[in-house]
Formats: sequence, C-alpha cells, structure tokens
Amino acid sequence: MTTWHHKIARPALRLAGATSLVFGLAGAATAQGVVKIGGLEAQTGPASIFGLMPSQGVRMAVEEINKGGGFDVAGKRYTLQLISPDTQGNPQQALVQAKKLLEEEKVQYIFGPYLTNVFNAVSPYVQQYNGKVLLMGGATGMHGALGKPNMDFVIKTMPWDTGSAGYGSMMVDLLVKRGVKKVAILMQNDAGGKAVVDIYTPLFKDRNIELITEFFEANTKDFTSTLAKLAAAKPDYLFPGYTDTSLYDIVRQASEVGMTHFFITRGSIGPGMKNAAMIDSYIAWVPKYFEQAEKTQPKVAKFVADYKAFYKTPFPYDQAPQCATSCYDHVFMLVEAMKKAGTVTEVPKVKAALLAMQYQGLWNIRYDATGESILNFDVVEVKRGGKIDVTHIEPK
Amino acid sequence: MTQLILGQLINGVIVGTLYGIVAAGITLTFGITGIVNFALGAFMTLGAYMSWYLTDRVGLAFPLAVVLSLLATMVAGVVADQALFRHTRNNLINGLLVSIGLISVMEAGILMTWTATPQEMHFVLPGVLQVGGLVVPKMKGLVALILLAVVLGTYAALTRTWIGRAAFAYAQNPEAARLMGVRTRLLQSGVFVYSVGLAGLGGALYASLYSIDAGFGGTYVLKGIEAAILAGIGSVGGALIGGILLGVAEAIGSIFLPAAYKDAYGLVTLVLILLLKPAGLFGDRK
Repeated sequence: MTTWHHKIARPALRLAGATSLVFGLAGAATAQGVVKIGGLEAQTGPASIFGLMPSQGVRMAVEEINKGGGFDVAGKRYTLQLISPDTQGNPQQALVQAKKLLEEEKVQYIFGPYLTNVFNAVSPYVQQYNGKVLLMGGATGMHGALGKPNMDFVIKTMPWDTGSAGYGSMMVDLLVKRGVKKVAILMQNDAGGKAVVDIYTPLFKDRNIELITEFFEANTKDFTSTLAKLAAAKPDYLFPGYTDTSLYDIVRQASEVGMTHFFITRGSIGPGMKNAAMIDSYIAWVPKYFEQAEKTQPKVAKFVADYKAFYKTPFPYDQAPQCATSCYDHVFMLVEAMKKAGTVTEVPKVKAALLAMQYQGLWNIRYDATGESILNFDVVEVKRGGKIDVTHIEPK
Repeated sequence: MTQLILGQLINGVIVGTLYGIVAAGITLTFGITGIVNFALGAFMTLGAYMSWYLTDRVGLAFPLAVVLSLLATMVAGVVADQALFRHTRNNLINGLLVSIGLISVMEAGILMTWTATPQEMHFVLPGVLQVGGLVVPKMKGLVALILLAVVLGTYAALTRTWIGRAAFAYAQNPEAARLMGVRTRLLQSGVFVYSVGLAGLGGALYASLYSIDAGFGGTYVLKGIEAAILAGIGSVGGALIGGILLGVAEAIGSIFLPAAYKDAYGLVTLVLILLLKPAGLFGDRK
C-alpha cells in the first residue's frame, strides 16, 4: 500500500537527484573556462594582403586548440573564443572595434594590428588598459612604443628592420655587395610609407648609397610621370611602396620606363613574378618562401595541408609569409605562456612568460627584452624569366 | 630633360583621355537631364570589373569582354534611369542625392560580388613603342586612341546628326524642342544611358592598364567634373580637352614638384583657368 509519505518522498527524491545532477554538471561546466582573444586586422580591402592571412592563421590555431580539448592552466581547462572583426584597414572602424573588444567582450589578448595607421588610431585608447591587455601586432609604428612608459601592452610580432638581427640591414648589405650606388625610393605618402623612409634613409646613407625619394598618394594608379622622373636619375634599384596593391602597378609601369631592379621590404614576390618577363631583379624580404619550405619542413607541409582542408581553397602562397606576424604560431605561443604563467588573466605574468619563450613552429620565434619579435626569414630574388634564388637567414 | 617633359606630355594626354571620357558623360548628362551624375564613377568601376571578370575569369577575348562590359553597364544605366533618375529630371539636388546613394549601393554590390581585394588583369597587349627615345606602352597608346575616337565620334554625332541637333536644341530650349517634335523623355533617357556607356567603356579599357578596386571610379568622376568645369559645362569636345589639360598638368607638375601632390596641380590649373575665364575654356558666359 502506498502511503502519502511514499507519494511525496519518491518524487522529492527524484527531484533532489535530478537537481544535484544538474548542479553537478553545471559545476563541471564552470570548471572549464573560456579565454576570449580578439583580432584586429584588415581581412578585406587594399591592405588585406597584410591582415587576411594572419587572421586566417589565428582562426586555424584556435580551432585546432579547441578541437584538441583546450588547454590546462593551474588545474583548470580552458578553450579559446575568437572575436575577429574586419577593420578593412580603416583606423576609425578599428577604433570602434577595439572598444567593443575591450569594453563589451572583455578581451585581454588582441592579435593585430599589422597596419601602422590602425595602431596609431587604437593605441591611445588601448593604453588606458595598460597592464590588463596585450596588443600583439606587426605594425611598423609599434616599434617606437616598445619599452616606453605605459606602453607595456605592446608586443611587436614583426621583426624590426634595423639592428643586429634586422632583416633590413642585412638586405641593404646585400645591395652594397652588388655594388649598388644609387637607390630611388617611391613610397606612400602616409604614416606607413613615411615610417619606412625614416627607417631606411639612414641605413642607405650609412653605406654611402645615394637616395632619391618621392612619395605618392595611396589612391595613385598611374605612376608613369614619377617613375620617368626617377628613371632619369638612373638609380640602380627602385625601392617602391609597401603594399602589393601599389606594387603591381608600380613594377609594371617601372619596367615600361626601363627600371628593372627592385628592392622590396614589405610585400610579396607576386608583382615580381607577374612581371618576370620584363624585370631583371626583384629582391624581396619574405618571412618564409612557402613553395620551398613546404617540401623540406614537415610543420610547414602540415600547415599548408590543414589550411586547404580548413578553408577549402587553394593555399595562398603569396600571402602566406605574412603569417610570420600575429598568426598561427602566436596563438600557440600565447597558450604556452598562459600555461607557464599559471594564469589566463594576469597579463603581466603572461607577457613575462611570452618574452622568455623560444618557440619552434612554422618559424623559430623569440622576443627581445622590449617585446619585439626575432625570427628566421628568407630573402628571395626573382630574376628575369621567373628564376628564383632563396637565401635562408637565422638571426643571431 | 626635354625628353622627360615630352614623354610626360604624351603620358598626360593619354591619362587625360580617361578623364575626358568621364567628363564627356558628365557634361552630356548635365546638359540634357539637369543633374550631375556622380554615379558615373561607379558605372566606370562596374565596367572595369566586368571587363576584368570576363577576360581573366571567364576567358573571353579582351575586345569581346569590352563590348559585353559596355552593354552590361548600359543595361545597368537603363535600370538606374528608369527606376531612379527619371524622377529627378532637372532637379540638381535630388539628382545629386540619388547619384550619391547609388554609388553606395553599386560599390557594396561590387564588394559583395568580387570582394575588396584589388584585381589586376593579365597583360592584354604587352610591350612599349619607342619613338626617338620616347617610350609609350602599347596598350596605353591603344586605349587613348580608342577613347579619343569615341569622344570625337560623339562630338561629330552631336553636331552632324538629327539626334545630336535635337539634343542641342533641347539643351538650349526644352519647350521649343518639344514643340518641334523631339521626344524629350526618350532623348533624356538615351543621353543618360549613353553617358553611362561612356563611363563603362572607360572602365572596361582602364582595367587593361591598372589594378582595379571598388572605389577607383570615385577619383575619376572627380577628375571628370574638374575637366568638365575647366572646359565649360556643355562642351563635349571641350570636356576631352579639359581632361587632357588636367592629365598634362598632373604629369608635368610631377616632374618639377613633389609627385605626392599630383592631384593639386590639376586643381591649381583649374583655378587659374577659371580666374581668367570664369565660364571655362569653351563655356558660354551666360
């Protein structure tokens, strides 16, 4: 016979059991945390040559880490959540996105920006979060912020041009060895272009290489008159633009006025390859020449295969070298740094762990004391007809 | 130096023909419909993307791609005219607002279709012509000749055919033209679409010379307006000359002054000419 006790007690027990199960599961769920990371790159637009590949590489790394079950920090398991808006290279848009990332999403780790004008726009705002945020980008303009008071949030993931490990210094030395006496610079009339001119002018002058410098507005398509003026000075090499968007037009039009030697520190070898029938030498700093590295480096081969499978598109060999900055490797480095620091929220500890690290991924990456990246790289020369010479350099 | 200046004179003329064809479209549209169609730059961009897509992606021969791009742009022009500009005839402000809105819509459509990544067509006609030390890329020379022929042909059609005379009559006195049997609505739509076609053709040929992106047409429509004002609104032949003057001012200015301010040299030329001739080089002072 069923008493009233049974009628009440059994459902109550079931309810208690179910409740404890639900709360137990909830307890297990809270034991797994989420680390939000942001992206602040141009994924479309003329400057996307710099931002698309890094943002794609970050996404791949996040997916790979999460698929592997996440990572453990101080006994707690974490996964990553990526919030990566497209800045389109627009500084105002990037500033709004940075505010959303920091204020609404409470992100503490941001990959990017690659563009100096975007960094200049977001930097004063992000500075308010100094000590609570890391902004890990490749922008040339970040160099000046490193080591400055209240700028601890800056980590520059792109190596610097000058100094003992500077690729720019090494490349200018390469020109000296070739007996180059005169170089013409043709650069964008903006923050990025002026920064490049400021960096390289002393490098060339210290080596007694004569310089002729001209600037152009970023929307310029016809460079013929400026190139003719530069060509009249008979430079040995032309050092043009910092984006492929301009380089394609410049290289094509320069070759038409008889300038066939190019020196590139920012951009791909694409413009050189496209105009290979008309140029003699196109020397470019390429963080990694993927076409060759894919055949000799298993990690690179895996990355290329994973990329094709993930995005279901052909691998962008021309843009892939941009993955040297704030990209695939850097997400794994951040996770390793969190593990070593034993925290995901104490940014100064994570930064210290990051700067103490030497990571071997697609690149061999480490940071100097100020937070600037040092990595191995390639210098590629495209010669007439498309023949390619690659020099691998491992900075000391 | 003489060679450098001569070379840039030629280059200025070539670049100026591109400004000129847009200027011709602007001056025609304004003369007949009473609006300044800023969206001509967007139609130019559409022509350029169509030409690039049909040549590089579909694999059509470039001349066929240019013809198809021209037709596609004109079809877009018909749609824009019937859906939008038909309602803004002789209303400068409304026409301006509609054309600015249309630019946003067209640019967004181009971005959605072909992304924001700049595109570059393969070499259609590689190589250069060398005459007495002067160098002219073959394709640039060919494009300039085509554009010159089209603008001069337009001028001839306006002055030597019944339709052309009807257009002139309408521009001078719409009421009288209507009473003389000119089908004014058809004329306005025809001129609007023809102007769009000029911009589309300019864009289709432009794509064989330079890389293209969704916003490049904006620069050309501003140059076109400068050229049309410089020439004096209403003069098709003058629009071509205005474009060439702008191109030459920019090219020659870049030799003697910093190239970074190239756009300013054209503007200074415009201001100087307007100071001397306020109605423009070929404009009617009234």
